Amino acid sequence: MSLAIAATVAVAALVAAAGQEHAAPANTEVAKNWTPPRTPDGAPDLQGIWTNYTGTPFEVPDKSDKPEFYAGDLDGTGRGTGPSSFLNDTTDRQLTKATSLVVDPPSGRVPIMPWAEERRNYKLAHIQDDWVNFTAWERCITRGVPGGIFPAGYGSGYQILQSPGYVAIVYEMIHEARIIPLDGRPHLGGSFRLWNGDSRGHWEGSTLVVDITGYNDKGTVATNVATQRVRAIPQSEELHVVERFTRVDENTINYDVVVEDPKVFTSPWKVAMPLHREPDYQMFEYACHEGNRAVPNTLSGGRARDKGAPSTETQ
Amino acid sequence: MQNWVKGAVIALVSVAGTLAISPMIRGPVEGRTPDTNVLRTADGKPNLNGIWQAVGSANWNLQDHQARTGPVLELGAILAVPAGLSVVEGNEIPYQPWAAAKQKENYENWLSRDPEVKCYLPGLPRATYMPYPFQILQTGNNDILMAYEYASASRVIKMGKVEPPPVDTWMGQSAGRWEGDTLIVDVTGLNDQTWFDRAGNFHSEALHIVERFTPVSPDLLDYQVTIEDPKVFTRPWKIQMPLYRRQDKGAQLLEFKCVEFVEEMMYGHLRKKTGNEKPFSAARMRWP
Repeated sequence: MSLAIAATVAVAALVAAAGQEHAAPANTEVAKNWTPPRTPDGAPDLQGIWTNYTGTPFEVPDKSDKPEFYAGDLDGTGRGTGPSSFLNDTTDRQLTKATSLVVDPPSGRVPIMPWAEERRNYKLAHIQDDWVNFTAWERCITRGVPGGIFPAGYGSGYQILQSPGYVAIVYEMIHEARIIPLDGRPHLGGSFRLWNGDSRGHWEGSTLVVDITGYNDKGTVATNVATQRVRAIPQSEELHVVERFTRVDENTINYDVVVEDPKVFTSPWKVAMPLHREPDYQMFEYACHEGNRAVPNTLSGGRARDKGAPSTETQ
Repeated sequence: MQNWVKGAVIALVSVAGTLAISPMIRGPVEGRTPDTNVLRTADGKPNLNGIWQAVGSANWNLQDHQARTGPVLELGAILAVPAGLSVVEGNEIPYQPWAAAKQKENYENWLSRDPEVKCYLPGLPRATYMPYPFQILQTGNNDILMAYEYASASRVIKMGKVEPPPVDTWMGQSAGRWEGDTLIVDVTGLNDQTWFDRAGNFHSEALHIVERFTPVSPDLLDYQVTIEDPKVFTRPWKIQMPLYRRQDKGAQLLEFKCVEFVEEMMYGHLRKKTGNEKPFSAARMRWP
């Protein structure tokens, strides 16, 4: 057995073990009467432009939530990211409506450790002090992995391209091209601590399985208000993410992801959601940092406040 | 004339002709017989997949430039500017008079004006020859991705006919087609915010470039670009340089998310002071 194959098998075994331990099986059942397309080199073909607009809230809301604080969702309905919550989306997409995108644990609630919620609360209350208190999204660095695929409400296009040995996902928001090698190479060494971790993929049947480690502790697991309570929850260097992409019919990829971080969550948790094929969706350049007024304006508001300027509420 | 002499003369003339047309040619000329040494995809197209990088100092200055001291005294040789031969055909960038003056002003105000200092998107063609690798991901029969390590920039080259770009952007809209073994990329819809190099060479939003990627051997691409911008230049002009395959074992694009490296520079004056800040030294800077 070659080293590469051995490594692939080892990764597959680890992933399988992780899956058995804590994750409900993915919905990987391919539609009947539909032959999954293949790329010229015989891999399952996931290529195209996909979007993740949804009418399903991220978590099941709870009375203890403070949506006005971390999500700006004043009525606390835990709305999804479609037209009902974002006026700028004027399309007539048929949005799925389920209880929550979080499917495991069955409560639909992410098992966040109290310290991590406190950390989030502190940072969001102090965005006027220092840019590091914003999430990496407002800083225009990244929405993270898997955060970058969690719904945001706009800028929600993803183009998947494949060449032999690689799958690439081009994220519209923050213009990232995430390139996933499939050749069984090992993860990068431990000195690499990356915003988006280090992705290694392989095929299990028609499912693309991506294993990600090597994260830094500066990013957050989710960045957007649509992720409600999970927004701005920190990630540690022990974050480990396993994503599964299964094309179940011509127009749908079932995406699910298991997130574990023993420093931040009391148990692993899982999100399952569809990506919809939208070949006519126009992906625009999201030149975020180049036009970032949010960070300097917020900070400068804070410095004006320090000098006793009246707050905007009283003006 | 004896046949061998005739042959030699023809060869010399043809070499001279090639040199006269394009004095910097190192790779094949477009339309040349396909090199059997070129990697190919299943459908017979050249296979450009891989991680590539320009070697040289075009990002410092497209034109001939001598080595010189850098802008920070304390950085000594580390940020000194390396010398480089021109990648511009004929070494002349045909600026209109006002634009030549602006380029000079840009050069003198490099540190405050170069969008690279602020980690802004590099635009094209600059993304190709920045001192970072980029990866070409060529799909079976469709779009081609070029992903750049610098600033997580990327572009998807749409093959075939495309609608005009709806808005101007930093990376523009790339439309590709094959002509023999050459991938030709027509880039339009570029905004006026990017530069060509660290020497203040610039353009307007009327910029239109045509890039030509031609494989010379499995590990070498010939990169040529025709640049036109009637608002800034008096005529189209060309650059050319080789692109080399990164041979490093396990080569992959790594993160160069440089936004994080410029926040202190851009926003530091707006941060709430805690008294625990690590002070910066008063580095001595001078440019040019």
